[in-house]
Amino acid sequence: MNDALTLVTTEASGIFAGLKVADFTWAAAGPIVTKQLADNGATVIKVESFKHPDSIRLGGPFIDDKPGINRSGFFADFHSSKLGISVDMSNPAAIEIIRPLIEWADVVAESFRPGVMKKWGLDYASLKAINPRIVMLSSSLYGADGPWARHPGYGAQGQALAGVHGMTGWPDRPPAMPKGAYSDSVSPRYALSALVAALIHREKTGEGQHVELSQIEATAQLLAPELLVYQVTGEEMTRAGDAKPGSVLHGVFPCQGEERWIAIEAVTEAQFTAFARLLEAEPAMTEARSKGPEALNAAVAALTAPHDAFALMAECRAAGVPAGVANKASDLLEDEVLNAHHHFWPLDHAEMGRLNYNGPAYRFEKTPSALRFASPRLGEHTEAVMTRVLGFGQDDIARFKAEGLLQ
Amino acid sequence: MSGTQSALAGMKVLEISALAGSVCGRVLADLGAEVIKLEPEGGEPFRRALPLVPTANGEESAAWLAYNHGKRSVTLDPAADEAGFAALCASADIVVTDWERLDLDTMDRLAGIARRANPALVWCEVLPFGRGGPYERYAATDTVLQALGGHLYLNGDVDRPPVRISLPVGLIQGGVEAASAALMAYWHALKTGEGQRVDVSVQACIVWTLLNSTMAWQILGLNEMRGGAIRKERANRFFTRLVWETKDGYVFFGPVGGGGGSARIKSYEALVAWMAEDGIDDPILKRHDWNGDGQFFIPQADYDAVTEVIFGFIRTKTTEELIARAVRDRILLAPISSVAGVFDNPQFRARGYFQPMEDPGRGLDVELPARWANLSATPLAALRPAPSPGADTATILSSLKQGATP
Repeated sequence: MNDALTLVTTEASGIFAGLKVADFTWAAAGPIVTKQLADNGATVIKVESFKHPDSIRLGGPFIDDKPGINRSGFFADFHSSKLGISVDMSNPAAIEIIRPLIEWADVVAESFRPGVMKKWGLDYASLKAINPRIVMLSSSLYGADGPWARHPGYGAQGQALAGVHGMTGWPDRPPAMPKGAYSDSVSPRYALSALVAALIHREKTGEGQHVELSQIEATAQLLAPELLVYQVTGEEMTRAGDAKPGSVLHGVFPCQGEERWIAIEAVTEAQFTAFARLLEAEPAMTEARSKGPEALNAAVAALTAPHDAFALMAECRAAGVPAGVANKASDLLEDEVLNAHHHFWPLDHAEMGRLNYNGPAYRFEKTPSALRFASPRLGEHTEAVMTRVLGFGQDDIARFKAEGLLQ
Repeated sequence: MSGTQSALAGMKVLEISALAGSVCGRVLADLGAEVIKLEPEGGEPFRRALPLVPTANGEESAAWLAYNHGKRSVTLDPAADEAGFAALCASADIVVTDWERLDLDTMDRLAGIARRANPALVWCEVLPFGRGGPYERYAATDTVLQALGGHLYLNGDVDRPPVRISLPVGLIQGGVEAASAALMAYWHALKTGEGQRVDVSVQACIVWTLLNSTMAWQILGLNEMRGGAIRKERANRFFTRLVWETKDGYVFFGPVGGGGGSARIKSYEALVAWMAEDGIDDPILKRHDWNGDGQFFIPQADYDAVTEVIFGFIRTKTTEELIARAVRDRILLAPISSVAGVFDNPQFRARGYFQPMEDPGRGLDVELPARWANLSATPLAALRPAPSPGADTATILSSLKQGATP
């Protein structure tokens, strides 16, 4: 049997080998942060409440299209290299199990609605009383205070509030919803920066602290320039369809096949000329360009339509023209560059079989990251963590089960 | 001792950048690092990137100003003054650069000088596709990477080509990713004295914004399709409306069928209760367990029918009415904010997210979205104006010559 705990505690390598993380995060934004710690060697113990497991376990896609607590690929992708325990957190006696976990940990991470950790006696002040050096990360959608603090929500609301949704689509149409609960993918990068900075501060001074972050505030960083323009000139920049001021050519053009598109952006005159030559349409494109961007894009669309998107991209790459097929998910898994870069990591899961997990977007030259094993089934490592990390005996476990704290 | 110093106090970062590297430097500067921009005479090209805003200096790039305040600037040509560049690197902890500023050959040459001068140095690069193959040199821009990362395909209306997000999200996300990766590498250097190169792939950063698309393909053989106001949420096979026109704007709202657990069920119950107060009690509203396990098997016609009834209600309300009630009753809807909406957002305002920045030299007096995190012991740095090109050249270079650190 693959013993994840041994793998984690004795064979860990990577930047965070030896770092101990008690992980109460759920959904996407929080788990994506702790995934970076786990995939770089930290021992991350995810704590779930078996009465209220991580909600993305209930979100598809499910293996064999059959919903099930250990069957969500959505959940799996964010939980590589993590150990999982499940406890009845609603039982006040749970602190008996959680307290030694806090004593053990360097980092406590959570992404609940503000107030939940406090209800459990696990707010920063309480954690600090147990473990003065603890670094706590709290990531919530709207932030820990303010009129919206207790309002429930997901990244889809986050991207709307933070302005990203409004910046997507065509100016003559309602804003088109960008894929992917966008604030859930912006805030982890900010959260990780702040968390590692806090760890660096602790390493240098011995002082722990509480890092609190709102996912919509992190996400609105993307609009910092537009917010400046608005104040200086009064202009509200908005979604621009396929227009991009400053580029010689910019658009998304049809190719052969169903829903096949290629994005082309010529930033320099040389790139424009190279692209026009490649399409053998120099005079036609120059003429269309003189009539404005709409005419140019219509002319280019007619020219690209008979081409195979991937072949055209290869020709553009050879000619130094920035070009990208609008990859579908299926294309990503076969993308030459992503595969040569080893972006996907095949991992085996007891109920889900082998799946390709997304690996990190960064590469360390000397301390490689590694997705060590697949996501934990609910409570998969409860017993191993209880006995081998937290020092409980079998008699304790039996008692906790009798009390309903453990399943 | 609480709250008086910065998390990265004492850290020195050298930035040779366009947008992505500047965003990386922004994050590190906010966390308290001293960030020194290395610029050519007259300033780096990014200072002139669109959109421009009028300042006392003429016109300057809004993006440059937004991501470069609180940094220092040294004008130095590393090709002409290799020793000066090496001395700067010897006193730095992190160097960050990106492909829009330096071509790969220059990057390699400068990395060689920098890392010889300082073996503990973290050399951080933002590249379109990362290091490690012929793809290192493929031409790319932000839009091209939004496409190659799989996000662009999923945005826009079905009757038009897919569209990018009208923000350089790849470059900005790549820059923030670089900040976290550089700090991880610095953590290693701090503990071991070993420096290294870390590179970030913007394409991979974009793939990460999809959340579950690559799993949906592997598990269900499903390629999601873009949708404007109406789309298949998550990996669903049915369409639901997610963008709703109100009396005076737009809200995002997924009342039915998103697989969101108990919060979503309660949200729908609160909506139905509110509609009942207005006399809307069409039986379709309660015909299904719209947000329970069975949601995946409800016919599309019924989703369309319930949407019509809900839309009839939402159209009669202003965005503000909807939001006020939503916050009170925990209904999962949100305004689709314009730039002004972000600027005026009461939640941001209550939390002090926007901070004033006075820049008398440029005649600017603005508020910037500043406090993206709250660190209890080491708050983010206060806002200071962006440097003019070479503002700190004399100070920094002379202190290097004296062997002191600036």
